[in-house]
Amino acid sequence: MKIDIEKLKKIVGKENVSDDIADLYVYASDASVHHAMPTAIVRPQTIEQVQKIMRYANSSKTPIIARGAGSGTSGHTVPIDGGIILDMKKMNRILDIRPEDMLVKVEPGVVDDDLNRALKPMGLFYPPAPASSRIATIGGEIAANASGVRSVKYGATRDYVYGMKVVLANGDLVNLGSNTRVHSSGYQLERLIVGSEGTLGIVVEATMGIRPIPKFRCLAVANFDKLEDAGNAISDIISSGCEPSMLELMDKIGIVAVNKAMNLGLKEVGAIILFEADGNVKEAVDFEIEKMKKICKKYNGKDIKKSYDLAERTKLFSGRKKLFASLSRYKEGIICTDLADDMGVPNSKIAEAAEKIHEIAERNNVIMAVYGHCGSGVIHTKIMLDSKKKSQWEDAEKVIDELYDYIHSVGGVTSAEHGIGLSKAPPWKKARSDIIPVMRKVKRALDPNNILNPHKIMDAPDNWVQATNLRYKVG
Amino acid sequence: MGILGKLFYFKGNGDFKRSRKYEQELNKCIRCGYCYELCPLFKSFYWESDTPRGKLLLIYGMITGEIKPTQKIVDKIFQCFYCKNCSDNCSAGVPITDILTDARADLIEQGFDVEGTIAKIDEDLCSICHICESICKYEALEVKKDKEGKEKMTVDKIECRGCGLCMAACPTGAISQKEGCEITLPELHNKVKEIIKEDKKKLIVFACNWSVFPGMQLSESPSLVKTPYGIIVSMCSGRVAPELVLDAIEEGAWGVMVAGCPPEECDHDGNYKTRRRLVLLKNVIKELGIDPKRIRLEWFSTGESAKLSKAIDDYVKELDKIGPIKKIEKRKIGG
Ligand SMILES: Cc1cc2nc3c(=O)[nH]c(=O)nc-3n(C[C@H](O)[C@H](O)[C@H](O)COP(=O)(O)OP(=O)(O)OC[C@H]3O[C@@H](n4cnc5c(N)ncnc54)[C@H](O)[C@@H]3O)c2cc1C
Repeated sequence: MKIDIEKLKKIVGKENVSDDIADLYVYASDASVHHAMPTAIVRPQTIEQVQKIMRYANSSKTPIIARGAGSGTSGHTVPIDGGIILDMKKMNRILDIRPEDMLVKVEPGVVDDDLNRALKPMGLFYPPAPASSRIATIGGEIAANASGVRSVKYGATRDYVYGMKVVLANGDLVNLGSNTRVHSSGYQLERLIVGSEGTLGIVVEATMGIRPIPKFRCLAVANFDKLEDAGNAISDIISSGCEPSMLELMDKIGIVAVNKAMNLGLKEVGAIILFEADGNVKEAVDFEIEKMKKICKKYNGKDIKKSYDLAERTKLFSGRKKLFASLSRYKEGIICTDLADDMGVPNSKIAEAAEKIHEIAERNNVIMAVYGHCGSGVIHTKIMLDSKKKSQWEDAEKVIDELYDYIHSVGGVTSAEHGIGLSKAPPWKKARSDIIPVMRKVKRALDPNNILNPHKIMDAPDNWVQATNLRYKVG
Repeated sequence: MGILGKLFYFKGNGDFKRSRKYEQELNKCIRCGYCYELCPLFKSFYWESDTPRGKLLLIYGMITGEIKPTQKIVDKIFQCFYCKNCSDNCSAGVPITDILTDARADLIEQGFDVEGTIAKIDEDLCSICHICESICKYEALEVKKDKEGKEKMTVDKIECRGCGLCMAACPTGAISQKEGCEITLPELHNKVKEIIKEDKKKLIVFACNWSVFPGMQLSESPSLVKTPYGIIVSMCSGRVAPELVLDAIEEGAWGVMVAGCPPEECDHDGNYKTRRRLVLLKNVIKELGIDPKRIRLEWFSTGESAKLSKAIDDYVKELDKIGPIKKIEKRKIGG
C-alpha cells in the first residue's frame, strides 16, 4: 500500500510519523492472537490534525485504525490490509473536571487510572474501570464499551457517555450528545459510537459522568468446594435483590495459576467468590455484606473473610486483579491465549455455563479457566494450550465453535465487554446474521469508502485463524 | 491459504543463541501492556516500540526470524534504564530485563554498534582519570588499548545500565547519554530553568526513578494538582550532579531536595555518593553566604510516596518561613 508519508509528516510533524519496521512490527499486534503490519503510524495531538489525516485517508481510500493502549483482546487494532494506525495516546489531556455538574471532559488518550487519580482528591471517581485501567484509554474504552469489577452496581462505559466530539471518515467534526446528564433531543448518536470499535468515527473528546467515592467499602471472600455452588450463589445474590458493588468469580484453575505466579498461598478450592458492598452508611454496607454472606453459606460457602481496610482489601483482591496474565504460569508447556474470552450469560445460567466450559475444554484437550465479573453475567475464559503444536490450534477452533453455540443457545452474548474485533467475529456473525445488514447500512452511511478499521465485526473474515498471521510460532 | 499454511509463516532463525531460549517465555507474555505503565522510556518518547512490550515483540520477531535486526531496532533494544518497573508489574512473570540483556549480547556479537541509553565517552575530553571506572557498580567502564596501542576508556554496552553516575562524577564532562529522556546535563539544566522561571516553583525535588517515582505516579495526578514544587525524575540520586543543585539555586529556587533510596537499597550504590556530595555542597553554599538548609537530602523506600509527600510539604513550610534567597545571601555562583 502506498501512503504519502511526507504529507502525513506535514500534518503532525516528522517526529509523529513512522513507517520504520521497528514500529510497524510492534503496532502489528495487541493483546490478541493476531499479528498484521500497518503501513504507517501517525500520532495526532489536535482535533484539526485528526481531521486533516481523515481527509487524506478518505481521498486516498487508506484504511485508518484508531489505537489507544492496544490492550484489546480480539485483534480490534490489528490492520488486516495495512493502512494507518492512528495512535491516540498523545491526546491525553484532562480538559475539564466539573464536580458541580458531575461531569468530566477528556481527550481520548487519557488513561483510565490517570483520570481516577485526578478525581480522587476531589472525592470523585469514574466507575467503569476495566481490569486494564492502568493503561487502557478512555477512547478505547468507549469504542469497546468496556466494563469492570464495579459495573455490577455502577454500569458499563455506555452508562457514562454523555457527550462526544467525533471526527467522521470525511474529516467532518461532529458534536454528539450533550453537555448535560440528560438528553432526549434527537438520535442518541453518542451511544452509537460506544462499542463501534473504531469503525464509525474517531472519538477526539468525550464528556463523561463521574460519581462520588462512597465512604465505606467492604470486601468479602468465600471459598467453595464446588464451582457449581459458587455459580449458584452468585445467581442467587443477584436475583434476591442484593446490591453488590463487586461480585467476582475465580475457579480452581485461576486460583492455582495466581498461586504459582504470585505465590499468594490461596486455598486451592473449587472456586472463590469475591463480593463487595459500598455506601455512605456503614450499617447499610454491613447489611448488604451479611445478606450476601448468608447466601454464600446456603451454597456451602466457607472460610468467609471480610475487610473494610484498603490495604487488606487490595491484598484480598490481588489474585483476581492479576489473574489473566497469571494463567500463563498455570502449567509448564502451555500458554494463555486470548481466545473465547468474555461471553455474557443470563444470571440464571452462570453455574451451568461455568461447568459446561470446563467440560468442553476437557473434551477438546485444552485448559480453560473460568472467572470474571459474574455478578453482571460476564464470564471470562481463556484457552490455554501448547502453542507450538498445530493440533492444539485445531482443538481451539473446535472449542470456540462448540462453546459459542452453547452460549448462544442459552441466550448469552458473544462478547460482554471486550468487543468482537477479529477473533470473535465468526461465532458472532453466525449468531447475529439478523442485524448484520443493518450494521452494514450504518457503516456505509458514515464511512462510504470503508476506511475506518475495515474488516472488523460484521466485515471480519469467517475464520479467525486465517484472518491474520498468528503471533505465535507454531511447530 | 489453508489453516496450516497460515500457521507456518515464520522464516528462518537469525543468530540469537542466547535469547532464543526465551521463546516460550515470550509466548507467555499476554501482551497486556501493563509493563509500560511506569516505563520511563515510554514516558519520554510515547512510541510503543519504546515500551517493554514493544521490545519483547521485536526480540520475538528477531529470534523467530520474522524480522531482521536493523539499526533502529537495535537502538530500541539498547534503550532501557533497568528500573525493572516492567518486570515488577508483569503477572505473567516474564523475565523482561534478562531477555533484554541476552538480546543485547547477541546483537553486539552480530557486530551492531549502538547508542541506546548507555554512557558515551568523548575521547577528546576524557583524561582517563579512572574516576568513572571506580564509581560504576556494573564494571562497565574499563581502560583498553586500541589498535595503535593508545589507551582509552571504554563502555561495556551490555553491562551499562544507563544510571548516569559516571556522568555526574566525570570532572571533564567527557561522558554523555542520548538526548530525549531528560537525563543529559543540558536537558536537566533546561528542566530546572523551566520549573523555576516558567512554572514559578519554589522548590525543586530530584526524585529517584527507582524508589520514589513509581509510587508517586500512582498516588496522584501530578499534572493536575497545582504544587509549589516541581519534580525532576533522575535515574539515580547519584546522577544529580552538583552543578544541577547550584543551578537551581542560581535560577531562584528557594530550596532543592534530593530524594533517593535509603542506604543499602540503591541498585547502583549511587546514594552514598550523593550523601558525600551534598555534605560538601552544603559547605560550599555556606561559604557563599547561603543557608545550608536550602539543600536537603531525604531517603525513601519503594512505596513510601506518602512519606515523600509529607517530607516535601514540611520542607515547603520551612522554606516559606525563611523566604526566597536574598540578594546578599546569593552571590553569583560558579564565577
Ligand atoms: C489484562 C487485560 C485485562 C482486561 N480487562 C478488561 C476488563 O476488565 N473489562 C473490559 O471491558 N475490558 C478489559 N480488557 C480489554 C481492553 O483493555 C479494553 O477493551 C479497553 O477498553 C481497550 O482500551 P485500549 O485503550 O487499549 O484500546 P485499544 O485496544 O487500543 O482499541 C480498542 C478499540 O477501540 C478503538 N479505539 C481506540 N481509540 C479510539 C478513538 N479515540 N476513537 C475511536 N475508536 C478508538 C480501536 O480502533 C479498537 O477497535 C482487558 C485487557 C487486558 C489485556
